[in-house]
Amino acid sequence: MDFSFTPDQTLLKNSARAFLDEHCKPATVRLLWDDPRGESEAMWKEMAQLGWLGLSLPEEHGGSALGMVETALLLEELGRAAYPGPYWPTMLAASAIAETGTEAQKQRWLGAIASGDARATVALLDADLDWSPDAIATRAEKTPAGWTLSGLKRYVAWSHVASVLLVPARAPEGVSLFLVDPAAAGLTSSPLQCMDPGTRWVNLALDRVPVRAEDLLGAPGSAAPVLQRLLRRAGVGAAAEMLGAARRCLDMAVGYAKVREQFGQPIGSFQAIRHKCADMLLEVENSHSAVYYAAWALDAGAEDAETAASIAKAYVGDASRKVCGEAIQVHGGIGFTWEFDLHMYFKRAKALEAQYGDADHHRELILAHVAR
Amino acid sequence: MDLNYSPEDRAFRDNTRRWLEAHVPADDLKTLAERKAWHRKLYEAGYVGMLWPREYGGWGATAMQQAIVQDEMARIQAPPTINGLGIGFIGPTIIVHGTPAQKERYLKKMLTAEEIWCQLYSEPNAGSDLAGLKTRAEDNGDHFVVNGQKIWTSSGPIADWGILLARTDPRAAKHKGISCVLLNMRQPGVEVRPLKQLTGHSLFSEVFMTNARAEKSDLVGNLNEGWAIAQTTLGYERGGNSLGRVTRYAIAFSQLVKATKQLRRGGRPLLEDPAVRARMGKLYAELEVQRYAGLRVLSALDKGDSPGAASSITKLSYTEFEKRYYETALEILGPWGQLMTAREEFEEIDTSSGEAGTWATAFLWARAGTIYSGSSEIQKNIIGERVLGLPKEVRADRLKA
Repeated sequence: MDFSFTPDQTLLKNSARAFLDEHCKPATVRLLWDDPRGESEAMWKEMAQLGWLGLSLPEEHGGSALGMVETALLLEELGRAAYPGPYWPTMLAASAIAETGTEAQKQRWLGAIASGDARATVALLDADLDWSPDAIATRAEKTPAGWTLSGLKRYVAWSHVASVLLVPARAPEGVSLFLVDPAAAGLTSSPLQCMDPGTRWVNLALDRVPVRAEDLLGAPGSAAPVLQRLLRRAGVGAAAEMLGAARRCLDMAVGYAKVREQFGQPIGSFQAIRHKCADMLLEVENSHSAVYYAAWALDAGAEDAETAASIAKAYVGDASRKVCGEAIQVHGGIGFTWEFDLHMYFKRAKALEAQYGDADHHRELILAHVAR
Repeated sequence: MDLNYSPEDRAFRDNTRRWLEAHVPADDLKTLAERKAWHRKLYEAGYVGMLWPREYGGWGATAMQQAIVQDEMARIQAPPTINGLGIGFIGPTIIVHGTPAQKERYLKKMLTAEEIWCQLYSEPNAGSDLAGLKTRAEDNGDHFVVNGQKIWTSSGPIADWGILLARTDPRAAKHKGISCVLLNMRQPGVEVRPLKQLTGHSLFSEVFMTNARAEKSDLVGNLNEGWAIAQTTLGYERGGNSLGRVTRYAIAFSQLVKATKQLRRGGRPLLEDPAVRARMGKLYAELEVQRYAGLRVLSALDKGDSPGAASSITKLSYTEFEKRYYETALEILGPWGQLMTAREEFEEIDTSSGEAGTWATAFLWARAGTIYSGSSEIQKNIIGERVLGLPKEVRADRLKA
């Protein structure tokens, strides 16, 4: 039983922290908020150089074949920096290609993703706001040249910078996965303005979008279990990112409570503030346990891996919202201003809370598993 | 990072399970003698005093092994051991601070439950502010004369010995002038009056000391330095119960599932109501997070890290969870959840006191956890000051001192 990180894992975490402290400062994040593209090409290239874009990809495609624990460590640091960009959606699409793709599909995409030449995203939510693969209503119809896809995909993150979209759709055989060219005919993208300026969503309307036969990922009708695995992985990653945001907010609140004086005392000496900070630490530490237990369980193929992933997403979603919100409360008026950085993390955690299955979705998965 | 149990731990678990299956008494233990006999049997098998050094009669086991034993006992719903306060807190205090004679005289009989121990700390006017205690121990040559009142004393009526905090220098500042001494409970000057708790049980007592006698040789540590000893005692938490506790929650959860299959509302079982399902899903998530956190503590202990003040996070986490757990369960179960006698169609569950009861008794017991052994508010003060490094609060008693 060893719940601590290996020296290599600690090294990864520390080097990620050092890189992001230097290259993804709050001021950098603010610049990207105002940028139409919203992410930095230069930072993406550096992330490729650091090996982050191939972290979990197979070695033969330029990756390091590391596991979900390492991925979560990195995502926690990205969340701590409120990093804006398509890192996680790209990695999710890449993991699906690595898992089910043909050799040609892997050749086409994985090396390009690992080297920073391509970005990708996943379009998991249809018109119905249900993350389960059963709810996918986008239709895939067979044509002589391949397929056409028609339907609506909601809240697709970072598709405007993606070279390829992973789109689940319902074929006659059942739910299937397609690799879609974002520039394809019949695809209309409507940008949405999210509360978090570092989260870029669009709605995608698909009207008989042509997809070549060789861009079908896996066998037709075989996508549901792939999507369920993807969603679990996505949830644990998002939980890690929310954990990072929450820890940053806790650190800021504690730091502020030590120096801000009222009534002639640092406010951290008052139990009303101190107890809030203690509650925040409790939530952060429990979130740490939930994230890394789930990450390990996915890597190890533990028998409770599915439940653990849902638990991490549901628990940390609630916990990070509480912690980031209470950090604003500890700061008082200054915490409510645009100039102060707290709302970066507050908003990032909130955006992720609603992604990849919200807490209600995952609670139902948990209960369906344990109460039969 | 590897959260698999080691082959040694798995083998240990298998052996423990086999032993318990062969030895757990078939019938409920009714008398103190029966409970002592069961405790003794567990001790001889190596399942009591596991973390104590061998030289004092313990087994020198790992925290993980102790947690596994507690876990297996919870799983099979074995009767609990007795003398938990003695073995968990008082004995370790004597091991660290006691004299060789004290160790020789008291430790082995504590382990085997030949002598039952209680803790004489809290007073009617010294609860969270324990250092405000007023019980006096006056020097009378070879012994102290003790006068005062203690309260919330667990195992009071069955206790043979108590570990007492008393004021030995009334002129000294509040946190100074307190000494720690071992008190024979079986003497005319000590009167124990059970208190009835809101659960209807009487598991703790008031203790009145009137010219009671405590030997000088039973002073633990130096005169007037008892406060520091009390602090280490309060901080003694080794994660040994972290798995067993969660297993009890999990057993209760499976019984909640069973009950919600049978109780119906609106023409369907409660378990099919989406509002009930959402709450139960949340409960299960929180329950499992307690388990993950427990494994993290055990992993740290295995590596020889001392949790120190961070053990306050564990205590705060599980006691507050336990309140939410039974509160939510009773919201779901409605009037049925409030029954104080088990109906045959639904089994009893384990309460936080480790004894069987109904959902109602578990719900009521859960109120105790956030008060005993340092209330949640005290734990948050400790976390704030010693883990987060927040400045100390300005307190009237510190200004005077």
